[in-house]
Amino acid sequence: MNQKKGRSKFIFLCVAPAFILFAIFMIIPTINVFRMSVYKWSGFSASKEFVGFDNFRILFEDMVFIKSFQNTVLLLVVVTIITMSLALLFAAIMSREQVKGKDLYRVVFYIPNILSVVIIAAIFSAIYDAKDGLLNGFLGMLRLDFLQNMWLGDQRIVIYSVAAAMIWQSVGYYMVMYMASMSSIPESFYEASALEGTGKVRQFFSITLPLIWQNLRNTLTFFIISSINLSFTLIKAMTGGGPDGSTEVFLNYMYKQAYTNSSYGYGMAIGSIVFLFSFGLSLAVSRITKRETLQY
Amino acid sequence: MLNKRIGAAVLTAMMLTVSACGSNGASSTTEDGKPVLKMAALEGGYGKEIYSEVIAEFEKQQDVKVELTISKSIEDEITPNMKAGKYPDVVVLGQGRSSGLTETLIKDKGLEDLTGVLAAKVPGEEVTVQDKLVDGLIGTLGTNPYGNESTYLMPMFYSPTGLVYNKGLFEQKGWEVPTTWDEMFALGETAKQEGIALFTYPTAGYLDSFFFALLADVGGQEFYDKVMNYEQDIWQSAEATQVLEITTKLLSYSSDTTVAYANEQDFTKNQQSILDNTTLFMPNGTWIAGEMGDAPKAEGFAWGLMPIPTLNEGDDRYIVTSMESVWVPSESKNKELAKEFVAFLYSDKAAAIFAKSNAVQPIKGIAEQLTGENQSFYSVYDAPQVKALVGGFVSTKPVEGVNIKAVLFDTANSIISKQKTAEDWQKDLNQASEKMRAAKE
Amino acid sequence: MISNKLYKVFIYVILSLLALSIVVPMLWVLLASVKEKSEFYGNPWSIPAGVFIQNYIEAFTEASMGSYLLNSLFATLLALVILLAVAVPAAYVLARYKFKGRKILNLLFMGGLFINVNYIVVPIFLMLLDGDKLLGNWFPNGLFIDNLAVLALVYAATTIPFTIYLLSGYFQTIPEVFEEAAAIDGCSHFTTMVRIMIPMARPSIVTVILFNFLAFWNDYIIALTLLPGPHKTLPVGLLNLMTAQKAAANYGRLYAGLVIVMVPALILYILVQRRLVEGMTAGGTRE
Repeated sequence: MNQKKGRSKFIFLCVAPAFILFAIFMIIPTINVFRMSVYKWSGFSASKEFVGFDNFRILFEDMVFIKSFQNTVLLLVVVTIITMSLALLFAAIMSREQVKGKDLYRVVFYIPNILSVVIIAAIFSAIYDAKDGLLNGFLGMLRLDFLQNMWLGDQRIVIYSVAAAMIWQSVGYYMVMYMASMSSIPESFYEASALEGTGKVRQFFSITLPLIWQNLRNTLTFFIISSINLSFTLIKAMTGGGPDGSTEVFLNYMYKQAYTNSSYGYGMAIGSIVFLFSFGLSLAVSRITKRETLQY
Repeated sequence: MLNKRIGAAVLTAMMLTVSACGSNGASSTTEDGKPVLKMAALEGGYGKEIYSEVIAEFEKQQDVKVELTISKSIEDEITPNMKAGKYPDVVVLGQGRSSGLTETLIKDKGLEDLTGVLAAKVPGEEVTVQDKLVDGLIGTLGTNPYGNESTYLMPMFYSPTGLVYNKGLFEQKGWEVPTTWDEMFALGETAKQEGIALFTYPTAGYLDSFFFALLADVGGQEFYDKVMNYEQDIWQSAEATQVLEITTKLLSYSSDTTVAYANEQDFTKNQQSILDNTTLFMPNGTWIAGEMGDAPKAEGFAWGLMPIPTLNEGDDRYIVTSMESVWVPSESKNKELAKEFVAFLYSDKAAAIFAKSNAVQPIKGIAEQLTGENQSFYSVYDAPQVKALVGGFVSTKPVEGVNIKAVLFDTANSIISKQKTAEDWQKDLNQASEKMRAAKE
Repeated sequence: MISNKLYKVFIYVILSLLALSIVVPMLWVLLASVKEKSEFYGNPWSIPAGVFIQNYIEAFTEASMGSYLLNSLFATLLALVILLAVAVPAAYVLARYKFKGRKILNLLFMGGLFINVNYIVVPIFLMLLDGDKLLGNWFPNGLFIDNLAVLALVYAATTIPFTIYLLSGYFQTIPEVFEEAAAIDGCSHFTTMVRIMIPMARPSIVTVILFNFLAFWNDYIIALTLLPGPHKTLPVGLLNLMTAQKAAANYGRLYAGLVIVMVPALILYILVQRRLVEGMTAGGTRE
């Protein structure tokens, strides 16, 4: 009896502090986001006016919001597909081939992931500089002048310039992750299929990919959430959403509305949409990618 | 105008309600019976000492004690005390700050009428304040916020914004500084032959001084006021169409890196293109000389500032002027003394102290006391037909999802890159303006 | 055979290209940080004329990067301590004990993974502001806002879901025999956790430390919001350097600042990078 009581006490003491902190700094503020989204409030005046779903109604007529939504989705699609493919490709090469200096490559590829977004923004604005940037200089050196561009000035390109920086930042991280899970696939699987004369590409699709599928699914969910985050922090430090809203993403727009435009309630309506969107998308991705789990 | 950093400033404003500090005691005399005048001032780029020196001069003349509170976020310091009923007697703080403290007091009718100060003699001198002030500032919405004859805000410091250029280059090439748009665009063609672009801007936000002046140039002060007050369909008017047409044409002459550098990180590179003689003009203000002080400059470089060109030779030319003002809260306990102090701020003694630190007051002949770039910049007011233009869009309740300044300025990027046409611009502006008007009442 | 050789060459080419795209910009920042003012107006790819240490001295003295560095260290380390003290036991219990309410707790923490700190930071700020108003009589200068310890607390709290997710994934992979043995030896719940289970979860804990160190060290959104006063953290100070009005004249100082922010993260990463992989996948691969 006493032991049982001790057990409950132990469980309580272990879980309670984490839960309390989590409740105060995450659950309550999240509820507040939703609660404030139905008010018209400037953020620091005393008067709050209940407006129901007015903020949401305005949102869907707000062209800047729609543009920022499109940009976010575009970034998510482009960055996810390219990052995942590259990370898988590099991971497969590094774990299947005899590569000299493998460890060094692994260490180097991971570095962008440990840098502050502020640093990445500074590095990339130096790379994209229209006049003496690394990229234009490099293209000039290769006599590919026709490819030179205003990477942060041309409104049709700038969103892809941001996407490239995001990919650069995250490829290494996912590569290391997939390498680790690929390394647990028994070598005998590959030997058996090699005897049947299966090529490397087919091996990748028939052995490697199915066996790390579960890991891929898990990372995909995180990837979506962290990309929404990264796109915001990077854009805030790099382009500020410009030129003329062509790199606006919805978290950045939320800040602009809540702060610069003193429309706090409206900003929180955007926040609610972001929450529902990322939750729904993760759920959908998880559904779509569901396969029968293969065991080794 | 320079710092459009999103969070910090407004957060500071949100914090108004918490940071309670500063002096207590509402008594307005010292222990030995001297009257006490409480002054609060925004610490600008000129430093704190100028106020201490001026106060010392005033205390020499009068038997008073002036207590000075000065801070870069003066609102945070004085608002909590004001809420508790402890008001300063003299405040140096302009409109257009993110806290909007001055605007709030205007709306609440919380300012003392200072019309009398204009007619009063400057302490220790034989001239009136009115006589000393330059023309064109008193009577604007910046000083008479209710649009009538009463002055509530005295102009303290002022600085012009306009098109900044390299005087030296014009001398070397033997070019005339253009005064009309026809001359301007002709110059654009000439410069193009030599591989020089006519126009750039640091970021699109710097177009504020350009646009406000152009609106007044094309439609006169009255039209300008209508635009600032969001009058119905004002952006559909012939004048507005003309403004956007001229701007679109000017933007077609902008340097090819303008948009690429028009962000918080790279805007100095656009500014640098003026110093390198690869671009002729950019909208900017007097701070540019200090900001780019260390940057390398083309040989023979000399700062120049001109009002934007006009439609016809001899039209009025407007200079958008940013103004810091001094005012007296109507809750002040020492109003008469406060007014006397305000008048003293325009005395020769005070003006000399201010001018030494490049804090330029709107006093006649001040340009002669200035040196270097500032002399060149402020002489812009001496040109014929030049008028100062103060103020901006009327403040309203916030409108969700509408930022008319963003529509007016940022669209310039899309015009240059041909993602939008002047017609799109006009349509968007009209929509935004209509929404703002709805929130005005 | 020739195609095989070509394949090898191809592999090295793309690996090297990716590596170069990372190493070159890093080196460039390093070189730029020792350039003199005048060198920034020339070709940006030129080798610096000499080592101009003045940039670093200025960054530390004039741009207060030194005190920002201490602020960042304090907030980051304190946040890590709080986080580990709170999240490790919770993760352990959630992974290894069956009790009433466990399901709902797991669900809540899982849901927390979807909450983006960036949109709740403002409600957090307002909440702290209200707290300050409430305590106005006792702490007239405010207690919660502009407080590095509060910042650390917010850092720790907002990373709890992810940390628990990662750690409990690892705890679940540890065979039950260890606890059974401990119980036979008469260890209490607490000793079992501290003496046996936590040491076994070390790889995972190392990963958690690295991930969260990076998250705290590199954060600028939360710090920007919760520290509106003069106490800034490094990334916020750096952002100020970048957007400062006089940025034109101070590129050297800016790049020195970049290096100052970068180095501690790099050192920690290199120290723990070998263990990183072990802990990282344990959470991800389980099913």
